Amino acid sequence: MRSRITRLLWPVLAEPVPVRPLPDGTPGAETITPARPPLELSGRDYAISLLRLAAEIEHGLMVQYLFAAYSLDPPGAPAAQRPMVRRWQETILGVAKEEMAHLVTVENLLTALGGPLQFNREDFPHDNVLYATGFRLRPLDPPSLATYVVAESPATWTHPLAEQIKAQASDEAGGAVNRVGRLYEELIAVIGDAALVPDSTFDAASMPFQASWDEWSRGHRRGAEGQQAADARPITELVILPVDSREAALTALGEVGEQGEGFDQPADEDASHFERFLAIYEALDGLSEDERKALVRDVATNPTTDLNGPDVGPDPDDETTTSPIANPDARLLAHLFNVRYRKLLVSLAHAFELAEERAGAASPGPRGSLIHRAFGEMYNLRAIAGLVVALPLDHAEPDGASAGPPFQMPHTLMLPHDDDDRWRLHVDLLDASATLADRIAAAGATGAAGEYLTALAQADGIERGQLATLIAAGGQTP
Amino acid sequence: MIHELRILPPLAIARFGSAPTPMDNYDAVVEPAKPLGYRRLVPADTLAVDEQTGEITNVFRPATLSFTENGAVRPVAPFLELWALVGDEQLTDGGRLEALTTTLLEEEGAAADDLRWQVQVANLKVMRRTGAADDAVHADTGEFSDHARHALAGECANFVAGRTIGFDHVQFIRPNAEHRQIRLRFTPGAGRVYGPTRSPFPNAPSPDPNVSEVVYDAQRGGWEGYSDAGGPGDTAPGEIYAGRRVGGSQVSSGYLDDGCDGVVRVSLQLGGRTLQALGRVGAGPPAYVPDALPIRTVADELEQALFGPAVDAADATYERVEEIVRRAFETIRLLNTVAHNEDWGWAGGAPFMASSLVDPVAVENLHQSLLVALRSGTAPWFGEVLRDHDAAADRSTLARRRMPAMMRGADGELLTLTRRQVALIRTLAAGPLFEAQEPEA
Repeated sequence: MRSRITRLLWPVLAEPVPVRPLPDGTPGAETITPARPPLELSGRDYAISLLRLAAEIEHGLMVQYLFAAYSLDPPGAPAAQRPMVRRWQETILGVAKEEMAHLVTVENLLTALGGPLQFNREDFPHDNVLYATGFRLRPLDPPSLATYVVAESPATWTHPLAEQIKAQASDEAGGAVNRVGRLYEELIAVIGDAALVPDSTFDAASMPFQASWDEWSRGHRRGAEGQQAADARPITELVILPVDSREAALTALGEVGEQGEGFDQPADEDASHFERFLAIYEALDGLSEDERKALVRDVATNPTTDLNGPDVGPDPDDETTTSPIANPDARLLAHLFNVRYRKLLVSLAHAFELAEERAGAASPGPRGSLIHRAFGEMYNLRAIAGLVVALPLDHAEPDGASAGPPFQMPHTLMLPHDDDDRWRLHVDLLDASATLADRIAAAGATGAAGEYLTALAQADGIERGQLATLIAAGGQTP
Repeated sequence: MIHELRILPPLAIARFGSAPTPMDNYDAVVEPAKPLGYRRLVPADTLAVDEQTGEITNVFRPATLSFTENGAVRPVAPFLELWALVGDEQLTDGGRLEALTTTLLEEEGAAADDLRWQVQVANLKVMRRTGAADDAVHADTGEFSDHARHALAGECANFVAGRTIGFDHVQFIRPNAEHRQIRLRFTPGAGRVYGPTRSPFPNAPSPDPNVSEVVYDAQRGGWEGYSDAGGPGDTAPGEIYAGRRVGGSQVSSGYLDDGCDGVVRVSLQLGGRTLQALGRVGAGPPAYVPDALPIRTVADELEQALFGPAVDAADATYERVEEIVRRAFETIRLLNTVAHNEDWGWAGGAPFMASSLVDPVAVENLHQSLLVALRSGTAPWFGEVLRDHDAAADRSTLARRRMPAMMRGADGELLTLTRRQVALIRTLAAGPLFEAQEPEA
């Protein structure tokens, strides 16, 4: 675990820390108790640190859940189980969307507290603060699902499979899996304490910069938790709340925590991520190993475009290493995936830098366009993921594991200072995307991949023209 | 042996125009290299008809398309083709439809002149409101077998004596050696406005220039000065007729137009048998955005009427879903989304969407993003945001944001797709997440 995070986590993990180990290496009796706020931090700074940590975690969970959903393979499943597997897929995708909403709400909290936004996240093979053995992209199986169940669980819960799940999660993680809910409990304690975070900290004037449900919900419901759509798909409920006061901040944290990470007893347990994952776990647990394998595509664990990194391993099932995407066709698509993933994150971060122009504006500003573009990139990620998982990881082993979307983090997510340079960054990403698309086309992309790239090129051409207009106007709406 | 006759298409829609030459044929195609653009209009084979003889004189493909001629709109004048069921007696059991030609007629011992046509059309819009049968406008060609133009002169008991509305004409195309197929052509009215004998604007300095001819006798009929009663017999929405506001009511100006619809009948005596067929025609305004289609069309209604509201998985294809999304995309450019987003007098004045999201170009771009992703073969994910048919009058914030947004249906409530269109999208959405994962079978 990274030391700078470990220091912060003392109060969250509530573990007395031994001052020194005994000669045999075991912890000594002399300990220090974590301080709240940790030494070196003010109350406000501590709240910001925790929020940035929450953003990393929500982002990381979202990516892992997306990968798990993409690994499910309803067409490959026995006919009788296809609807069930498809439903799981939609359930997990729904949870991922809700994690995205949580991330956006956490960014709102950071905006209200005047903290730097956090769109970064842990990347394999670095350690994750939640799982001792790290953030992993892996196909859905009982051990990985057990870690999701425990991470999203309330502080206390009972279930016939509870002990099995906890043990499996600990084995998987190489230690106890921390609950995300604990982090939100700490945040509520800190932000709820006026002595730590004074009233003056909450900047109501930042509201126009914050994300709203009106802008980001895309018609998903609010207040219909746990229901099923007519076609038996779970209904997604996005918790996106702006923050202008302590009360609003506590409401936002409470709702985020309650929806997924679950405080002691969620008001509607059917809706919590914990319950949804638990239901899938129960169903998976009732199947034999062979039956389970028939439902899940053999997607390589931690796929990467990096063929020579220090953690590259030859076995696509090895969870402690990354799996190099040796297949050149799949690797080019994986690079394209990474570029569009970066463009999504840049669009998201950029949208938070532009105030919403409220009613009365003759023409909406570019903020709305960025929000639409961010959704367009989400659609692109899904599309490219579909193309990638259809290809083998290694072209020399066409019947081996499939490649997968790598979700590799960019070298930076910091936005340039000047408005026009920010838009130039979008152009840079379109340039990188075009280079990759040309190479994919030159390699002979046909069928759905060919049609997709043709359409993508035209969409990017249209965006490029709009960006040129913005840059010519100095980054402002002309 | 000819077992049955059919008129195809069974429903043909003409479009008004006052130019003498009907519009040339064209297709509206999506260019493979530009899947996000508007459709390109491509000239198609067109039949030129000699007005006097009724013969086809030329089949040509125009180099360019022109929707007007000397400033006048060229009418869309559809051909109705006569087809014959031959082979087995059932279309589903070895029987097949063949275009009826003079050759086929001769084989049966008949000739084109043996065909007897009759076309009856009407404009019942005024009668629908006033409830007076004398306000119905009817035109009937009577039976004919020749190849002259037969006028569709709309007559009405409440018209000034001798006045009619020109719904315009039909012509049985004379087959010849080169063009043996049996066809009838319907040429619609010019798209004119007809007025009443009493000026609805008595203080106006000059007559309404939109009125091309006075036909309606306002002393005899009650259309001029009529107001919807506000009862269940009104159309929904009501008061959608030309007029003026008087004391909170919409008072009719007594105007009529040359829109009409009706039936085409044909019969043939063959060896003691009488074969008959029926087709339908209608006339409406020109397509002023010919490279786009509305998101919900009469064809969608007919498909639902024929096949029902549910969709088989095999029918839920990416191409069909893309076509619906494409039509939504094409519709956006017809809307000022910033203005439409504002208060419709509903829900306490709240806009439909967040104001930042409704820039028309950005909304177009969003729909283009949907088209891009669908091309990859990823299942549509937007089934949940569609408005259900029974939620058209739900004006809650969430309901108003459902798609299609900011548009009104014929009932004055929020527009919905047909149930079948919604089922199409949701059925595909319930299929594999990635089409590329589908087994080759």
